Amino acid sequence: MSDRPLIRFEQVSKTYPNGTVALSDVGFAVEAGTIHAICGENGAGKSTLMKILSGLEAPTSGGLAIDGLPVRIDNPRAAAALGIGMVHQHFSLIGGLSVTENILLGQEPRHGPFVDRAKARARVLDLASRYSLDVDPDATLSTLSVAAQQKVEILKALSRDTRILILDEPTAVLSPPETEELFRRLVALREQGLTILFISHKLKEVRELAQRVTTMRAGRVSGDAAMSDVSDDAIARLVMGEATTSTIVRPEPQSGTPRIAVCGLTLRARDANDRLDAIHLDIRPGEILGIAGVDGSGQRGLVKVLAGSRRPDAGTISWDGEPVVGERTGALRRRGLAHLPADRFRDGGSRRLTLTENALAGAHRGYRFGPLLRPRAMVERTRAIIDTFGVRCPGPLAPLGALSGGNAQKIIAAREFGTNPRFLIADQPTRGIDVAAANFIQDQIVALARSGCAVLLLSADLDELLRLSTRVSVLYAGRLVATFPNSPDLTPARLGPYMLGLEVAA
Amino acid sequence: MIRNALAEAALTVAVVIAVVALVLVPLALTQPDPMGVVTTFLFGPFRNLRYLGNIVELATPSMFCGLAVALILRAGMFNLGVEGAFFLGGLGTVAAALLLPLPAPLLAPAALLVGAVVGSSVCVVPGVLRARYGASELVSSLMLNFAALFIGLYVLNVLLRDPAAGAMVSFKIPADAKLPKLIEGNRIHLGTLLALLACGLGAVYLFRTAGGFESRIVGANPNFAGHLGLAVRNIGLRAQVIGGLIAALGGGIEMLGLYQRFSWQALPGNGWTGVTVAILARDHPALVIPAALFLGWMQVGGDLVARNFDVPNEAVGLMQALLLVTVTAAALTRNPKLLRAFGARTGASA
Repeated sequence: MSDRPLIRFEQVSKTYPNGTVALSDVGFAVEAGTIHAICGENGAGKSTLMKILSGLEAPTSGGLAIDGLPVRIDNPRAAAALGIGMVHQHFSLIGGLSVTENILLGQEPRHGPFVDRAKARARVLDLASRYSLDVDPDATLSTLSVAAQQKVEILKALSRDTRILILDEPTAVLSPPETEELFRRLVALREQGLTILFISHKLKEVRELAQRVTTMRAGRVSGDAAMSDVSDDAIARLVMGEATTSTIVRPEPQSGTPRIAVCGLTLRARDANDRLDAIHLDIRPGEILGIAGVDGSGQRGLVKVLAGSRRPDAGTISWDGEPVVGERTGALRRRGLAHLPADRFRDGGSRRLTLTENALAGAHRGYRFGPLLRPRAMVERTRAIIDTFGVRCPGPLAPLGALSGGNAQKIIAAREFGTNPRFLIADQPTRGIDVAAANFIQDQIVALARSGCAVLLLSADLDELLRLSTRVSVLYAGRLVATFPNSPDLTPARLGPYMLGLEVAA
Repeated sequence: MIRNALAEAALTVAVVIAVVALVLVPLALTQPDPMGVVTTFLFGPFRNLRYLGNIVELATPSMFCGLAVALILRAGMFNLGVEGAFFLGGLGTVAAALLLPLPAPLLAPAALLVGAVVGSSVCVVPGVLRARYGASELVSSLMLNFAALFIGLYVLNVLLRDPAAGAMVSFKIPADAKLPKLIEGNRIHLGTLLALLACGLGAVYLFRTAGGFESRIVGANPNFAGHLGLAVRNIGLRAQVIGGLIAALGGGIEMLGLYQRFSWQALPGNGWTGVTVAILARDHPALVIPAALFLGWMQVGGDLVARNFDVPNEAVGLMQALLLVTVTAAALTRNPKLLRAFGARTGASA
């Protein structure tokens, strides 16, 4: 390492006002003219760190130095002035504007009060040829493919004398040939002297591109090494952490014949998180099948198809031997589907409706007397739910929005678990909620499985998966790449290589 | 929660008072007798039974239209076809009353039924286009209002026009079809009771039936409704059908209660008033009643001022417009600081 790296993070910490610690004492250095990878699970703090570097967030303590000089980056404009450009995973582009307008938005060349269109166009062409990223300056952005839009996003990041380019999981939205193309561009950019910070889950990509890697885990730097000094397995261990010793629950299947049988399930989609490629899986009554995988590996598509909100392009799903492909959510729910969604306020309930309404929606037709609902019975039932689930709330008629995430999740879980389901999809059931609430919901899921329900558990929390699951399958790039019976030998370190796409089992 | 709801209501009332003052005071100051203008506007409408009757008479169609809009808004739809539905409902009812050979006790109900079904089409067509093709019901219903107007005027001219009347108006509505007057000395008719009843039933439907609950779920969060497996599109359509029927029924009742002949040459504007009423009532069917009476009072007060002073009664339109803007401005009526000032407890984030 030279004495004066281009970027140096110095004891950067970030605590959000709600008490979440996103980063603690993060320190490492990035050499000029290299591609530097940052690896870590979701919530490890990578994105927060990049937001600090690009001026979107301020650190609580610590700071950073560029070219050895301490700097304060208060806003994206200050970052741009220092030559830092960021390519977001979800592009910050405007679909209705042309490529030129998008790239030069906010820094248009002017002619008096008017935008000098000819000059703007020339500047974009110049920029495109300088970095050999060919784009049509006059095309309307929304007519372009995602890969072409990404080129525009990269040019936009490069448009202000950029020296440091940050890419946040740039391959998540690309097909394999598009990814290769992008990598050639990135290598060429580095050869022109640019420094690139590359955030990725995928070790293969990191191995292909980067000279140095920093791994992060739970807001801390867990490792920092030159790529030539570190093996893939070592990186996987640094990302996933060492094995934890929590007792395994592992409910036993109660029958040999599967309740849910999925065969050859395929969903074609632009977004990698929706894409599924010939998924096979069985879930028996009483069994919890855990799905491990880095975020965006196809979890969303799998849940959509199994919950009846998307029709698969190919493959079959059967419930107790009956084919159900094409049945919508309503029909599947009548068969006994329950679904604890990943985004509790977007899909799982309504902030504006009361706890009673949220807890009994769907079951409300059971609370009728003639044509009328029986509000008192509904409130009473909700009171019982509040008691058994230990929901901390002002009362059954409070709006759901008044509750904390954990308590809201309890209400939603009570609704989904209370229907005596035969198949439960639990998608990130304990994400972002406190430990007590999380334990309670996990216990409820296990109890449901023990009563004979088939459970599909998707979780970014490996400890949760390894504690609850009967079997664990790993989803990578829309494919189930491995399935393991759960045992104390199954550790995050063993799953890691599969999750990161290094290994594929039969 | 009740405390917070009260704070919200109090804040809305305060905004309304501020708006009325904001328009009224400068207008009054242009007159030689500013206090006279203010007192005439505020208290004039209560001075005798006839003016009070006028308030109720104006509020009746506003209740039907406000209820229709409230039910549609609660389901997350924004269908402005209520205006056309009200117009066409009036025309359809008059046409049925003139053309159907029915005896007295059946004529009015049958005519109102025909009018409701015919008129509701102005809401139903945009509703179907939305459910089937995802076309914005806001745009298509706005356009369809004018189609309804000109189709209606064509039918009036070709089918119902009384050649002896000297203007483009229908034949006289048969006395058998008229709605009975309730009070001697003013024009309040049975329709007012029907409007109150409709608002009551609307509240029961929305808050006490499975169908109303489902429509509120769709309105509150369509993703959530989809997650529960509800038929989101059909529920949205159902709200627009019900809203269309209510608004068209309101148009028919207005005709049979107050008019001698069908004489509207343009869209009557009651549907637009209904939008203001529903928004003032925060889409609550029971609160539609006071909101409609309030707008009726404002209209009568404005008319009295216009008649007695040199102030145009367009001032009332100005107040209505300003009310619409301020009451819908979430920055104002959902402002946590202001809500706290009116007694709300903190921590209840929306």
